[in-house]
Amino acid sequence: MPSASDSTVALPQPGARAFRATTPWMRLPRQAWVMATNDLRQEFRDFELLATAGFFTLVVLVMFGLSFAALGRQAQPLAVPGMLWLGVAFVGALTLTRIFDRERESDTLRALLTAPVDRLAIYLAKASVTLMVLLGCCLVLVPGLAVLFPVAAVFAERPLETAVLVVLGCLSYVSVGTLFAAGLATSSGKNVLLSVILYPLTCPALMWSLVATRALLEGHPDFSIYLTQLAALDVVLVVLSGTLFESVLVGGSARNKGRTTRGRRRR
Amino acid sequence: MTRLIPVALLAIAAVIFPLSVHQIFIETGIERELGTVQKIFYFHVPLAWIMMLFGVICGIAAGIQLRRESRTAEAFAVAAGELVIVAGLGVLITGPIWGHASWGKPWTWDARQITTGLLWLVFVAYVLVRRYGAAGSERLAAALAIFGAVDVPIIYYAVKIWKTTHPSNNVVGTLPPEMWAALWPALGALLATSIALVFIRARQELVEMELDDAWVQAESLTEQRDTAKGEAT
Amino acid sequence: MTEVVTPLELRGIGKRFGRLSVLRGVDLRVDAGEIVGLIGANGSGKTTLLSITMGLLSPTEGERCFGGAAVSDVEVEQRARIAFVAHTTQLYPRLTATENMALFADLRRAAGAEVAPSGPLLERLGLSHAADRLVGTFSRGMMQRLALARALAGRPGLLLLDEPFTSLDRPGRDRLTEVLTAERDAGLAVLLSSHDHDAVVASTDRVVLLEAGRLCGEARRDDGDRSLRAYRDRVAALGMLGSAVDREAANA
Repeated sequence: MPSASDSTVALPQPGARAFRATTPWMRLPRQAWVMATNDLRQEFRDFELLATAGFFTLVVLVMFGLSFAALGRQAQPLAVPGMLWLGVAFVGALTLTRIFDRERESDTLRALLTAPVDRLAIYLAKASVTLMVLLGCCLVLVPGLAVLFPVAAVFAERPLETAVLVVLGCLSYVSVGTLFAAGLATSSGKNVLLSVILYPLTCPALMWSLVATRALLEGHPDFSIYLTQLAALDVVLVVLSGTLFESVLVGGSARNKGRTTRGRRRR
Repeated sequence: MTRLIPVALLAIAAVIFPLSVHQIFIETGIERELGTVQKIFYFHVPLAWIMMLFGVICGIAAGIQLRRESRTAEAFAVAAGELVIVAGLGVLITGPIWGHASWGKPWTWDARQITTGLLWLVFVAYVLVRRYGAAGSERLAAALAIFGAVDVPIIYYAVKIWKTTHPSNNVVGTLPPEMWAALWPALGALLATSIALVFIRARQELVEMELDDAWVQAESLTEQRDTAKGEAT
Repeated sequence: MTEVVTPLELRGIGKRFGRLSVLRGVDLRVDAGEIVGLIGANGSGKTTLLSITMGLLSPTEGERCFGGAAVSDVEVEQRARIAFVAHTTQLYPRLTATENMALFADLRRAAGAEVAPSGPLLERLGLSHAADRLVGTFSRGMMQRLALARALAGRPGLLLLDEPFTSLDRPGRDRLTEVLTAERDAGLAVLLSSHDHDAVVASTDRVVLLEAGRLCGEARRDDGDRSLRAYRDRVAALGMLGSAVDREAANA
């Protein structure tokens, strides 16, 4: 049994100790990177997220194929964008739930919140990991649609545009989703509420992606404009979610003495 | 003083409302193509404006609630959010009736319809989270309201683009001046009523919070008295 | 040495959830080189008090002072000096012990904070044989020790522990006490909550009783008779007071 006396860690007085706090801009990217790689390391240990989300994507794809296989050529440009982004919405909700369940099951999200970590870094890390998983699923979804529906062959013909579109669309979904999934993960229980919140809120972002996708399928000249607008929307959503993240997760300070935190009323 | 605001507003509404009904049904002529059904327009449009207005107000109040931890802002956010649902219900009921008469079908996926529908859904979600969320979810609900308010222009614009590729009939054409004349009083009456309702509801919410305070205070007072009694004996 | 500062001082902390008043006017001070035990029945507000101290909850009233300065939010700068070992040990089960340590070490380094090397710490807590095992395969006691190692790696000035003795066996408790005492002698301030009086007596210098959200009493080790037995009696008396308050509340 190791004895405690031989290797006592030197502990200078708190406050007298040299601690140079880094500025948020210095620590933000590093901390986000550390947390994101940590999530990926865990993922590559058992591929749980990618396997389940990827399989779910496949199931959704098959269901779309079965339901809409008989769709005429004219109806396809209207239907395929819907399938793409509905697929993303379903898989995204699954991924977000799972990513934050992982932090919940051993209460590790609280450990991150009590560590000297910027809350914004937590947001950035979780959002980027979710985005990566979602993009991985799109690697199944997009080619799958291109195979099932002749109109969607455009995806294969213009891979660069498709890639940009998918990344921007997924980002808009993830930026909002991460905020609310994290907020639900810190309050106790009630994960059902995620779909209640997520779907109405992400509708505008998904609709924008929908518009752009249809323009791509139809070879509409305004496609690049829509893409720019989608990018601008992404910026708005990421900034807004990032700003709100800390106050949603831990609440602000008790600056006002008269305030209360209102929870569920006593039954 | 603030207690008088809703009373005054309701009094104003009580005066204007009969006048506006008179204006709408007696003074303004029956529209040539649609007939009497068109009268619903004078209630539908103000309700829709009120809904958007209070959606934005709810978002702003929720923002203040998060920043300042202000109780008043929280109470107003809750009240405005609930009013959005009520007004939205009115819009979503009157809209299709009017639509059925003018376009032959109740729902045409017009930009305004989708905006209204989605906004309504967001605020229903807001109330659901406030009511059924665990402790601490009032901050989550506030964020939801903020996104709801921000979403209003985004959805509207998105659907507009969506529609330009497939043009559809115009909802509100140019209005003859006499119709505007009938619209303003109706808007005034409905707006006064809804502001009064929001005030009353916000007050109710504040009183509830104060009641919680009083409860806690009473509890600690009883406890102190009991300890004092215990020491005396 | 510079002026001695108080690592933690809570002034008039109150916390409410709607009508439920969890904490009322709690004043508590923890000095450097002191281990303070927080005892009280389940639901007396121990965990809430620790969560507020750690910045996971904001208090309804009162203020938190770290190193003599009152803060409205527990910011990165303060969190770099405080360590928290929660009742749920908050470790990633899919990572090894070393990786768990490394993750938080990297995060601290990015914030500009000091980090002690993990090897000696793991050895000191008797975990070096399991350093490369997945934490998911650990026993509860091992997780507890690893969580403590992670907390100490940050070289904190203040250490908070929530129910650290629960589900530890006798040797485990002794080892924990041994480590805490050694750190205390090196100047660490420790605040730990527990409902196990025996374990608290063995490890603390001072015990405060939290009952129904209020601090109701205190027992000191160096108060009169310094023997462990006398201290145990004082803590037991304090515990009796606690249950008396409890009964009264139930009768009311």
